[in-house]
Amino acid sequence: MNTLRAALAVETRKARSSIVLRVAAGLVVVGVCGLATMVILAARSGNQELIAKLGPDAATADWPALLATGVQITAAGGLLGFGVGASWLFGREFAEGTVAALFGLPVGRDRIAEAKLVVYAAWAAGVSILLALGLLITGLATGLGPPDTDALTGLARQLALGLLTALIAVPAGWASSWGRGLLPGIAVTIGILVVAQVSVLGGFASWLPIVAPAFWAMQPSASTALTLLTVPLVPLIFGAATVSIWMRLQLDR
Amino acid sequence: MSADALRLCAVTRRYVGGAGLTDVDLTVARGEIHALVGLNGAGKSTLMKLVVGMLRPQSGTVEVLGTDVAHAGPPTWVRVGTLIEYPLAYGHLDGRTNLSLAARLRSIPARDISAMVGGILDELDLRRYADVRSRRMSLGNKQRLGLAAALQHDPDLIVLDEPTNALDPSGIIALREALLRRADNGAGILVSSHHLDEVARIAHRISVLAEGRVVGTLDPDGIDIERSFFALVHAATRNTA
Repeated sequence: MNTLRAALAVETRKARSSIVLRVAAGLVVVGVCGLATMVILAARSGNQELIAKLGPDAATADWPALLATGVQITAAGGLLGFGVGASWLFGREFAEGTVAALFGLPVGRDRIAEAKLVVYAAWAAGVSILLALGLLITGLATGLGPPDTDALTGLARQLALGLLTALIAVPAGWASSWGRGLLPGIAVTIGILVVAQVSVLGGFASWLPIVAPAFWAMQPSASTALTLLTVPLVPLIFGAATVSIWMRLQLDR
Repeated sequence: MSADALRLCAVTRRYVGGAGLTDVDLTVARGEIHALVGLNGAGKSTLMKLVVGMLRPQSGTVEVLGTDVAHAGPPTWVRVGTLIEYPLAYGHLDGRTNLSLAARLRSIPARDISAMVGGILDELDLRRYADVRSRRMSLGNKQRLGLAAALQHDPDLIVLDEPTNALDPSGIIALREALLRRADNGAGILVSSHHLDEVARIAHRISVLAEGRVVGTLDPDGIDIERSFFALVHAATRNTA
């Protein structure tokens, strides 16, 4: 019996009908693209006070400005969206009580947890691709012209940032499993967000796996790219810990 | 092959604070409906949770279809159907889809699922709710959905915690007939209930739980089953006081 295949089929079907995952994906894509559009339009407005507030990266109102805005918002807003998705995939079973029906089945809870992680990865990859495409369309729609090589590299970096941000949001699923609800996952997401943003603004701890993607996206260089090697540790450690929680779960509280 | 569909031997599982089960022996034979009755907090749900691994015993053994529950794998669980605490009913999915997912989680081959789901929708009179999202269903219909998920694959061991909760009279009759049919076909069935009259109608054996122990049995054909029940419970309570 291929129980992982069955678990994948079930989790995929549940995710396909999920309003939460659709709304989270929509908010990330529409939110980032919408804010990037507003920044470009504001930079073109000629309002010097507003342009000064946007900073030198955004003031040029070109592809680099659009993409710099995109990565800044993705590093924060994208993390929040991915954290909500991961929290919901695991925490909903506890919040809705359906976890009780996941015992005594041929498909083990470890397989169900693995399937949830796979579905999360597929959903997050889809959101990241849509976000990069959305920014491409935003650039074209706001009259920035066809993207040159640098802009295409920037879009690729945007796609990579989306994927890396999704990886560092995996602890939200672990927290929802450990805390048996949605809120622990959301709380951990906010915690990661605060640590990452403060570190980037303060310019320290770029080697931290949860900080490295934002650092690299905003200050791309050989040294910040090297720190990305630590990022896969986050989903590996917290993914394994999540599967372990589900495998050993007892409903004794 | 064990003659029992379910066997608990000297099982103890205490919670922090003291409630739980102590040294419980219990069997469910194939083809038998064994009912558990007891007051709230007597340990009925704890016992059922131990059967499906929601809790692990601190001592003693639980055997499901001849296999220790600690080592039971897919070949064992595919032959079990349960409804304990909450049904497998995802609010954003309709009745038919929820049943299809429950069948997938029971490792039922995809080609067999549609006919199986159709059969149980008819048997439990759920056809009207096949395309209704479960969040829009009444509590009783959600309960029927959970019962359908537990019964649709004709398991050899059925474990149902308070299965008549929220059911209307027609639902109770449909469930009664579904259980009697499966017992006639050789399934072992463990049900817990507060409804002594209902239990007496279908059960071959009735065990009384009090203070986490099996304190006696009731005769399903007895004349005043309620009086006998309270006599057992009060005697057990006095002894432990």
